[in-house]
Amino acid sequence: MLGLAVLSLCIASTLGMNTLVLVDTLATRETHSIFLKSLQERGHEVTVKAADDPSLQLSRYGEYIYQNLVILAPGVEEFGGALSVEAIVEFIDGGGNVLVAGSRDAADLIRELVTEVGVEMDEEGAAVIDHLHYDSNDDGQHTLVAAPSAGLIESDVMVGAKDSVPLLYRGTGLITDVENPLVLPVLRAPSTAYSYNPSQSITDYPHATGHNMLLVAALQARNNARVVVSGSLEFFSDAFITASVQTPQGEQFERSGNGKVVEALSRWVFKEEGVLRVVSVDHHLVGEKEPPASYTIKEDVEYKIKVERLVEGAWKPFQASDLQMDFVRIDPFVRVTMTPSTDGVFSVKFKVPDVYGVYQFKVEYNRVGFTRLFSTTQVSVRPFTHLEYERFIECAYPYYASAFSMMVGVFLFSLVFLHHKETPPKSKAD
Amino acid sequence: MSSTSLAVVMKNFCEEYIKNTPKKLKIVDAYLFYILLTGVIQFVYCCLVGTFPFNSFLSGFICTVGCFVLGVSLRLQANPQNKAQFHGISPERGFADFIFAHIILHLVTVNFIG
Repeated sequence: MLGLAVLSLCIASTLGMNTLVLVDTLATRETHSIFLKSLQERGHEVTVKAADDPSLQLSRYGEYIYQNLVILAPGVEEFGGALSVEAIVEFIDGGGNVLVAGSRDAADLIRELVTEVGVEMDEEGAAVIDHLHYDSNDDGQHTLVAAPSAGLIESDVMVGAKDSVPLLYRGTGLITDVENPLVLPVLRAPSTAYSYNPSQSITDYPHATGHNMLLVAALQARNNARVVVSGSLEFFSDAFITASVQTPQGEQFERSGNGKVVEALSRWVFKEEGVLRVVSVDHHLVGEKEPPASYTIKEDVEYKIKVERLVEGAWKPFQASDLQMDFVRIDPFVRVTMTPSTDGVFSVKFKVPDVYGVYQFKVEYNRVGFTRLFSTTQVSVRPFTHLEYERFIECAYPYYASAFSMMVGVFLFSLVFLHHKETPPKSKAD
Repeated sequence: MSSTSLAVVMKNFCEEYIKNTPKKLKIVDAYLFYILLTGVIQFVYCCLVGTFPFNSFLSGFICTVGCFVLGVSLRLQANPQNKAQFHGISPERGFADFIFAHIILHLVTVNFIG
C-alpha cells in the first residue's frame, strides 16, 4: 500500500501533475466527487480550495506550483490571494492547463477569463434551451439539454470512442470565432437549441443558436497549453454522470454519456493524452551513418525522426501514416510522406533538388487533439565542385569540335593572312 | 518588277565585290563565312538534340560569335578605305590585337566547355 502510494507520488512528480481545484463552496467537493476522485486515481496531486481563499497563489519564487488549474467556481466575484485573470493568462502562457466551468449566472470574472481564451459566454441569465432534445427530468423550461453525441468533435483523443449516448447539460451557451484555428468545438449544441433567458419571452434574436453555439469549447495554445471551457458546471457533476437519460423521442439510456466524456476530456486537458514529442532526428546520405558537413545537389539523402506519444504515463512509439517531411528553402522543394515503423522511427529517402542553398528538414504535424509537433534541422546544400561535373559528353562533341575548329581556323587564317601580306606589292608591280 | 530589280542589284553587287574588293579582304570574308556556317550548324544541332550540356553549347556557340566579331573588327582595320579612321594604328598592331583577343577567347572557351 505504501509502495503504491510512493509509486503514484513518483508518477505525479515525474509527470508534473499538481492540480489546483477552485470551488465556490466546499460542497462542490461532494457534488463533483467522481470527477475529483478520477483525477486523484490518475496520479494528480489534487488541492481543493475556495476561489476567494486569500492564500491562493499559482507560482512561488518564479516557478509554478501547479501544472493544472480547475475552476469549478462560476459564481466567484473576485479571486483571492495572488490569483487574477492576468495571473491565469500568464499561467497559460507559461504552459499551464486550465479547465473552466461556467453556468447561467457566471460572474463577470469568469466571462472575462474565458474571453481571454477566445470563448464568449452568453449574457447573464441566458440558458441553453432545446425543445426537442431535453431529458425527462426537466422542470418544463427545457434547459436540461440531452445533447446528442453527434455534436462531439471527431477526435478519439479528446472525447474518447464515440457512442450514441446523449450528454446532459444545463448552463449557458458559448460562442467562438470560427476563424480562430486554435479554438476547437468539443461539443456543439443540437441544431434546434438556442440560448436565451427561459423566464423571459423572446423579443430579439438569440445570440447563439443551433450548431453555431458550443456547449464545451477547447483551446490548444501555440505553446501546447490546453484550456477547456464548459458553459455548465453540472456537466462534470456526480448527478449528471450517474443520471439516466430519457429523451422526448422515447429513447432511454441507463447512464448519460457525461462520465466517459468528462474522463476523456480531463485526460486530454491535463496532457495525459494526445501528447507527442520528438526524441531524435537523424539524417545522412543513403548508405552512410554520419551526417556530412554539407550535402551536394542531386544526392540521395535519408532522413529519420523518432516520435513518441504519451500513453498511460509512459512514452510509447507513435504510430501514424500521415507524417510528412518538408525539405524547405523558403519554399518547400520536397514534401514527402514518411514511412512509419513499429519503433516510432519515421524515415524517408529522397533526392536533394538541383538547387543549392541553405535548407531545413522540417516536420510539422498538427492534428486535432495532439500537441503541435515541430522539428527543424538546418543543412546546407552546395553545388558541384569544378571537378564533379560530367566531362566528354557524347552529345556535346559537335560543340567541342567547333571550339577546336575555331582555334585551328584562327591559326590557318593567320598563316594565310600574314603570308598574303607580302604578295600585293608584287601584284602592283606587275 | 521588284524581283528583276533585286536580281539586278544582286548582280551589280557581286560584280562590284569581285572587281573592287582587295584580295586580303576576300580572305577575311571567306574566314567569316566559315565561322558563320559553324555557328549556324551548332545552333541547329542544339535545336535538334536539346540544350543538355548547356555550358558546352554556350561556349561553343559564343566562341563562334566571338571569332566572328573579332574577324569583322580585323576586316574593318584591314580595309584601306577605313585608313583615316584608324590613323596611327598600324596593320601589324591590328593583327596583334586580333591574336591577343583570340588567345583570351579560347582560354575562356576551353575552361567553360567542360
